[in-house]
Amino acid sequence: MVELLQTLWQRPNFVVFVILFLWGFYIMAAHPNFVKKLIGLYIVQTSAIFFLVAFSAKDGAAVPIIISEGVVDAAAYANPLPHVLTVTAIVVQVATLGVSLALVSSIYRKYRSLDEDEVMEQLE
Amino acid sequence: MSSQLPMLLFLVPFFAGVSMPILAARRPSICQPLTIGAVAVMVVLAIVNLRVVLNGGPIEYAIGGWAAPLGIAWLDDTIAATVVLTISAVALLSLIFGRVVVPARLERSISYHTLILLLIGGLVGLIFAADLFNVFVFLEVAALTGYALVGAQGGKASVFAFRYLLLGSFGATLYLLGVAHLYAATGTLNMADLATRLPQIVTSTAVAGGLIYIFLGLSIKMALVPLHSWLPDAYENAPEAVAPLLASTVTKVALVAWVRIEYSLIVPGLEVGHVPVLVLLEELGVIAALIGGALALIQTDLKRMFAYGGVSHIGLILIGVSLGNPTGFVGGMFYLINDAVMQAALFMIAGALVHYHGARSLDDLRDLGPRSPWLTGALIVVAVGMVGLPPTGGFFGKWNIILGALEAGHLVAAFTVVASTLLTLGYFVRIFACWFNRSAGAEAQPQPVAGSLRVSLGAISVSMIALGLMSDSIVRFLLESLAGGGV
Repeated sequence: MVELLQTLWQRPNFVVFVILFLWGFYIMAAHPNFVKKLIGLYIVQTSAIFFLVAFSAKDGAAVPIIISEGVVDAAAYANPLPHVLTVTAIVVQVATLGVSLALVSSIYRKYRSLDEDEVMEQLE
Repeated sequence: MSSQLPMLLFLVPFFAGVSMPILAARRPSICQPLTIGAVAVMVVLAIVNLRVVLNGGPIEYAIGGWAAPLGIAWLDDTIAATVVLTISAVALLSLIFGRVVVPARLERSISYHTLILLLIGGLVGLIFAADLFNVFVFLEVAALTGYALVGAQGGKASVFAFRYLLLGSFGATLYLLGVAHLYAATGTLNMADLATRLPQIVTSTAVAGGLIYIFLGLSIKMALVPLHSWLPDAYENAPEAVAPLLASTVTKVALVAWVRIEYSLIVPGLEVGHVPVLVLLEELGVIAALIGGALALIQTDLKRMFAYGGVSHIGLILIGVSLGNPTGFVGGMFYLINDAVMQAALFMIAGALVHYHGARSLDDLRDLGPRSPWLTGALIVVAVGMVGLPPTGGFFGKWNIILGALEAGHLVAAFTVVASTLLTLGYFVRIFACWFNRSAGAEAQPQPVAGSLRVSLGAISVSMIALGLMSDSIVRFLLESLAGGGV
């Protein structure tokens, strides 16, 4: 138990990731409101992005623009790839948000409600 | 020139889709011909591509000239070329079918046709991608357009499209997490590069966790039981015109993406924590095949029945590719091609029934007036294919899966294929019992159906039988590609 706590204490980033992920998932699953479900989804997606950024963080690393020729010390530069993945993932996230808001507004126009239970009642 | 074929195959639908708003702004009537034309060009390119790959071996495409593992790699091998040809041919037939049943509002809608073309482009990219992150991007391109197409009719459909979106995006996020884990553990995203680095560290928690995340994410996308709940609702309510396209392609291509990952990263006999991974996947396939078939049997709505049938076939394919021997693998891939064609045919028939007769459930079928012999004929052919009788391709796919299962000594898998065949037979018997119920108005002349419908139903029935007749050569060249270390 002490060991587990110690491990967690040394990895605060990953604790935050787990909390964000589960929090978002709970909102997605438990809230009947469509927009709140979306917010939950957004938090889950953000937690994945946070994970990408967290493991690529490096102390005292420079921007990876290499000017000098010859042998390059990899440890002195931040790894650009996870950040590129992050940017792409954010673009995907924004696109998902756009489509989902369009669907939610179409649901609202038809059923005049954002509550899942009320909409399902009307469907039956 | 021929080395640019994979990119051309992607660019044709993508460019046509993106330029649709410009080209069709003043003449919305050209949307439909333009879409069908672009997909027809794709079919031609896909045939050329398959020939080039069969004669000259796999094409490794380095996007922008940046060679793997630094750049993004696409791999155009036999399996990718075959699946792309299947997808584009099925898409063409679905679009021809769609001309009949598409509502007037969507027929002239620019965004609707753009979405269809982007969906096809995304699927092509997903098949070719040999880079884990590239797979994620195309997975999302295909999925986002898929959500929008499911909800295109508004109303009830948008509720189910929204649910599909919630689950699908959650699956994509899980996939991304898995990719992040594998990247953190190995420092590469290229599948071939990963395959050389993973074996040393495959039992580490990060790699095992990453693979589990990836599998969970993709199994939501491919609707593997018990993560299938979005599929029947979404495809039941999708517009009739795109339901064949969605049902036949989206889940299968997600499965192809998983097959690539599985084939390059999970070697047969691999055990993580005393769990043989391939056997575990096979058992998941067994569960999916049996539960999917049983759920299909108890449905009363035709589209839901067909959707659950598709769910059970995803399980069959997963059994085939996870047996760990070439026979089963090729059987699974061949069945995947057949299943794409059969699902398209099933949803075409269901869509045509709704369009001409307003029939959605088995009870409606029973009281139906005379119907076109084209529909009856296509239904008989597709039933033979789904049950898996020769000479359709379904038989040879199942046959190879069973042979592979016996070769591996997995009797449960072999039994499951037979059991799912019986379940399939069960629900087709239910359909035929209603279909050939001659009590109501059998003497009247059937309502004539549109030419496009005849073309699409006829072509798809012929292709189901043709796949069976050509099964020998298809299976042989798939086997040869495996021997050469392909996939």
